[in-house]
Amino acid sequence: MLLSAVIFLPLIGAIIIALTRTIVNASAIKGIALAIALLTFIVSLSLYTGFDETTHFMQFKVQNSWIPELGISYQLGIDGISLWLVLLTTFLTPICVLAAWGSIDKGASGFMISLLMLETGMLGVFCALDLFLFFVFWESMLIPMYLLIGVWGGTRRIYATVKFVLYTMAGSALMLVGILYLYFQNDNSFDLLTLYDKAGTLPHQRLLFLAFFVAFAIKVPLFPFHTWLPDAHVEAPTVGSVILAGVLLKMGTYGILRFCIPLFPEGTVAFTPLISTLAVVGIIYGALVAMVQPDLKKLVAYSSVSHLGFVVLGLFALNSQGVQGGIIQMVNHGLSTGALFLLVGMIYERRHTRMIADFGGLAKCMPIFATIFLIVTLSSIGLPGLNGFVGEFMILLGSFISGAFSKVYAVFAATGVILAAVYMLWMFQRVMFGKLDKPENQSLKDLNLREIIVLLPILLFIVWIGVYPKPFLSRIEKSVNHVLKQHTKAMAAIGESQNAVVVDAGLKGERE
Amino acid sequence: MTVPVINWHMLMPELVIVLTFVIVMVFDLFKSIRKSVLAWVTIVGSAIALWASVEMLHAGVIGNEFNGMLRVDRFSMFFNIIFLVSTILVTLISINYLDRNDKRQGEYYVLILLATLGMMLMASGNELIVVFLGLELMSLSLYVLAGYFRSIQVSSEAGMKYLLLGAFASGFFLYGIALIYGGAGTTSIPEIASELEAGGKSPLMLAGMFLLIVGFGFKVALVPFHQWAPDVYEGAPTPIAAFISAGPKAAGFAAFLRIFTGALESLQPEWIVVVVILAALTMTVGNVIATAQSNIKRMLAYSSVAHAGYVLVGLAAANKDGISSAMLYLFIYCVMNIGAFAAVILARTEDGENLRIADYAGLGFRKPLLALFMTIMLLSLAGFPPTAGFVGKFYVFRSAVDAGHTWLVVVAAINTAISAFYYLRVVVTMYMKEPEEELDFHAYPSLLVFALLLVTIGVVLIGVLPSYFLAPAQISTQFF
Repeated sequence: MLLSAVIFLPLIGAIIIALTRTIVNASAIKGIALAIALLTFIVSLSLYTGFDETTHFMQFKVQNSWIPELGISYQLGIDGISLWLVLLTTFLTPICVLAAWGSIDKGASGFMISLLMLETGMLGVFCALDLFLFFVFWESMLIPMYLLIGVWGGTRRIYATVKFVLYTMAGSALMLVGILYLYFQNDNSFDLLTLYDKAGTLPHQRLLFLAFFVAFAIKVPLFPFHTWLPDAHVEAPTVGSVILAGVLLKMGTYGILRFCIPLFPEGTVAFTPLISTLAVVGIIYGALVAMVQPDLKKLVAYSSVSHLGFVVLGLFALNSQGVQGGIIQMVNHGLSTGALFLLVGMIYERRHTRMIADFGGLAKCMPIFATIFLIVTLSSIGLPGLNGFVGEFMILLGSFISGAFSKVYAVFAATGVILAAVYMLWMFQRVMFGKLDKPENQSLKDLNLREIIVLLPILLFIVWIGVYPKPFLSRIEKSVNHVLKQHTKAMAAIGESQNAVVVDAGLKGERE
Repeated sequence: MTVPVINWHMLMPELVIVLTFVIVMVFDLFKSIRKSVLAWVTIVGSAIALWASVEMLHAGVIGNEFNGMLRVDRFSMFFNIIFLVSTILVTLISINYLDRNDKRQGEYYVLILLATLGMMLMASGNELIVVFLGLELMSLSLYVLAGYFRSIQVSSEAGMKYLLLGAFASGFFLYGIALIYGGAGTTSIPEIASELEAGGKSPLMLAGMFLLIVGFGFKVALVPFHQWAPDVYEGAPTPIAAFISAGPKAAGFAAFLRIFTGALESLQPEWIVVVVILAALTMTVGNVIATAQSNIKRMLAYSSVAHAGYVLVGLAAANKDGISSAMLYLFIYCVMNIGAFAAVILARTEDGENLRIADYAGLGFRKPLLALFMTIMLLSLAGFPPTAGFVGKFYVFRSAVDAGHTWLVVVAAINTAISAFYYLRVVVTMYMKEPEEELDFHAYPSLLVFALLLVTIGVVLIGVLPSYFLAPAQISTQFF
């Protein structure tokens, strides 16, 4: 029940706004949205307090029959992998509502309805344990995002939003076929948990792996599927970018960990070298392209490609350190990049430009802004003591120890950390330091109270994860180890069946 | 020959429609009766027939009437429901439309009722000749309806084109029947089946089968027999375009199912190959051409071609699930497609309908309710959850994968992504583009809004709780 409440509270809020939008004014609508988003966050906190970290089993399970004729059930549950992503979502949404407070004037009700429906879709993706239900949430979150970018975005918003939808749909079309195929392998049921037990015996592993992986890789986005991301980020309104970077991209990496690795172990092993290589290419490529961007938002967008490359590299290290690091890094990226987009949005609202060249010396007139910006920048780079370091360190460690050749990946990926320092600090220097010589910049106002309230919670977690990550990691650990155990068990089953074939053939040979 | 004993109560839905059409015709003679009364008589009559069909579906009555020429069973009742729902919705959206455009209304409703009767005969015909009679009754009524606005050139053109190509298709169909009669010595569907099983496949039967497929292909607008569709949809009065895209298509598939899974079951390996190829072609060509359309009626025409392709994917499975998925898909498709056309009718100004997609720019903020209706219909057509369109597509895909047509489902899934492009383009125009000129859109006629509200509730309801519609479709596939 608790999970259903968390997932559908935002939808109920959206319906309330839709029904009352003609009778109340815009600020009341924003108020309702904020109240609902906060309520959802508070309710979701009991997921944290009630979470049992000593088990890998799915918790807070909900199981109801939905469409029994087709073996579809309404089944929800979370484990250590999804817990933090659910909380990240419920945490970022009220921040987004607050951040949109001053900047959205056209159709505030539509904006808030889209945002809340989007939250329902995202939460559903992280909680669904039925493949059909998962797909329903996965697809239904597309439309609100499409509207957020397309209606409230920048000048090239239509191009960006259509590209975003078509990329995602192309990926998920094949995933749908894969899901249907699995359904018949799973005795006409979409139940994910029973499917896990059959993982070792699934046929056509590599094809199935690809059918799912391409959908997720587009979402992540993994190089070379990343081209929709910069467009979408640049054109999206600030809040759209925050949600996109903060949560939406994580749906891809979450899918990889929830479906690809445990369900198709053979496919995973077969494609690991390729995927790790692409991840490393993405890390370095994203960083290099970010370095030369004249536009702040585009720079942050490309840094996302680089950061998500780290996450994928960590997941495909296929050991506890790498995968745990990957999950923590998902959360970290959601916090740091979300905060960066918020900061860029705040300066854009003041100056209506995002070009680095238009700024300089802002630290003098906006000291609070500069301080917060610096902390977030350092977190994004991975300075020890802030959250980014924990994730990146564990990923690199995991990758380094996962095999002989993977040391090479770790070495190349580590250059990404250095490059990140280069592009982020260089950008910071050009925007914040130097002479405050442009007249338009001299009268810029520092952050107001609302904006500080928006940013402070994120800063809190940036420091918390960096200094004391144990409460986060301890809840993740059991589930990660379980997924990896599932993976090795299924690999062993495949090995046995292959051995059995060999033995069979051998016996046949002896008989003859 | 003895006079057969007929259980008239088995023919309740058909009889109610006949009675309604007589009443409408008589009422039309009196000048004092307002024309909208005729529409309401049509709606009430169809609703009674619908109620009878639902009751008979639930009761599961089975009967062979007129010496086994008509077969009453759950299958025919399921299709009756599709036809009658389409008729009611189309009549609802016609009332305001005709008030604005034309005064002669009596024969309009009479023709709609006659076409509906023809469809019902097609679905329950157990005899190739009866199926043909139903087909002709339906088609002749539709030819007139397509050209109903005589004074408007495009409408006349639509009627003429539809007549010529339709007559051509009927010829193919009749020739096919003749060849099958030559091969089997009978036109009764069960007898053909037993003849085929006993006598094996003859070239005559195969040729007859192919001709039947061509005839059906024309009627339900499969590629490469689809060329008439866009012109007819564009020229015909919009409610009639909605009607042609819904009921008659379902009727064509009903007869197709009866004949091919009934009479020609032994030829299944042969016709499945053809169906699979036609399905892939129809989906792909329909969707690809639809992306290039700037007129919304033409876009919907090509989209309806593509949707016939999805139905064929279900048929290709040719097992129980495949047939029931195709039936459910037809039901869902009829509802949402009529909804989309209704939204097109709603979006009109003083100068008439606005059929260029570009005219819809800015509609999202000036006419939020209309834009919302239109968006939900288009999303359902594109197959986004949680709408009916998604459930329909999902069930069809599932059945086809089950039957081993995985690659066909891959094609269909890619097509779904292509179709999202042109459906969403309309949404883009409504919500994300600024209008070039200020168009003065009409106020909402309450009947149209009511019809659209019904359809929207239906589309969302089927999407969220499909069980109530799935179960009837699943039990309606046993027909012999």
